Amino acid sequence: MEMSAKEDYKIQSFDPETQNLLKTALKEPSSVDLEKVADVIVDQSLKDQVFSKEAGRICYTIVQAEVKQNNGSVFRRRLLTRLQQEFTVREEIRAHSLQEWVCYVTFICNIFDYLKVNNMPMVALVHPVYDCLLRLAQPDALLNEEEVNCLVLQLHRIGDQLEKVNGQRMDELFFLLRDGFLLQESIGSMARLLLLEMLEFRAGGWKLSSTANKYYYSELSD
Amino acid sequence: MSFRSRNGRSSADSKEYENRNCGPSPWSQCRKRGADGNLRNKREEDNNDEKPSKHPDDRPANFTTPESDGPLSRCGRQSDWGSQVENEEALIKDVHKDMHRYRRRLLAAEFSQRERKNSSGSSDSRESLLPTTGEMETDESVLLRRQKQINYGKNTLAYDRYVKEVPKHLRQPGIHPKTPNKFKKYSRRSWDQQIKLWKVKLHAWDPPAQDGQEKDLNDIEELDLDDVMDIELDFPSLPESLNSTSLSRHTVPFLEDVQDDCAGTPSKVMKTEDTPE
Repeated sequence: MEMSAKEDYKIQSFDPETQNLLKTALKEPSSVDLEKVADVIVDQSLKDQVFSKEAGRICYTIVQAEVKQNNGSVFRRRLLTRLQQEFTVREEIRAHSLQEWVCYVTFICNIFDYLKVNNMPMVALVHPVYDCLLRLAQPDALLNEEEVNCLVLQLHRIGDQLEKVNGQRMDELFFLLRDGFLLQESIGSMARLLLLEMLEFRAGGWKLSSTANKYYYSELSD
Repeated sequence: MSFRSRNGRSSADSKEYENRNCGPSPWSQCRKRGADGNLRNKREEDNNDEKPSKHPDDRPANFTTPESDGPLSRCGRQSDWGSQVENEEALIKDVHKDMHRYRRRLLAAEFSQRERKNSSGSSDSRESLLPTTGEMETDESVLLRRQKQINYGKNTLAYDRYVKEVPKHLRQPGIHPKTPNKFKKYSRRSWDQQIKLWKVKLHAWDPPAQDGQEKDLNDIEELDLDDVMDIELDFPSLPESLNSTSLSRHTVPFLEDVQDDCAGTPSKVMKTEDTPE
């Protein structure tokens, strides 16, 4: 998304051997163990916040390459299975490492954003993604800046798509956000600012007006 | 969160929702007090304790099935995401395939119609009522939605029994259920109504006893998707319409509104389907 180099899949953080595996998977998917590739990507996404934000790109490319080469979907199947496995234990993940939890949410949202079926979001992921975001909007999570940041990032990226496929759950999510914004006194001012931005963002049709943009970002940008 | 807990929430908090939506002053009541007090927070904490512990296990296997919140029929029963996505893809492919076949049949029909007109010159009234390629529904999302609805109907014991008990050539329009034609242009309401009526009719073939139902489910799931398409495409085929009196489908387009109004009584539809005679 915000990257300029098209071929940059942010795989530098992998060890050389794995980098090779990934490179081969991108070019010649049938010559490698795609399940292993999927595992490598999922594992890295859960550890590496930077990677989790962009992992959808590499996944997308591998999926395309596999389809092209032998019309297969081994990689995608494994990827989704892993995502689902982690999903079922997400509360444990969250309890044991907030960072990993945030990485997970970032990753699943990124996959949701990049992998499409017939140009439409994968229906199977809609509710799970909502479940994750709703979890981030619970009162205890709103106290965590990390989680709020993650929530905001995801809404920026896929909020409009999600609302299109299921508006009702988006309403549900925003009830929580309003509640948090208004009623939860312990929320820090930064988190509150982000929540307010989200409320305006959605109200404006998933866009910020230029004045709103100035208000929210003038301090940050140089 | 899972459907169950979502429902739980909405019923538990329904009062709040009411306040929120239509109460003249949501703030004057529990809400504002909640803001500075404990009442609300406590409730939220309760929810919190409850939800996460609840969904992993309690979630129904088909929780991602679209279009309805309740536990749904056997379609989309597979709970792993990989299979779900693959099924979705397969469905799209099938719809595309169907579209091609349907188009070909329409063209063939148009052609032979012209031929016949030339030879006999008597079928003009009929001809104008036949669907043409231009009137075909081609919106993918519509077709997909319709196909899913059809699959839900076909994925039933009743349908299975119906297909076995009444062979195609013995089916009579107006008496036997006929799968709505997903390629025709209908309003959303008209379509949904047709589906509803079709399902009502199918219920006549519901199995008599309850035992052994669970056992049979698996078998049925296997058979359907493919031969389903075949039956459906039978709809526009020309020969059948010529040598039988099944003009019913010709009437459907201009009966749309009538059907919309007739709020779901199966008998009425039988009637409408007979009218052209």
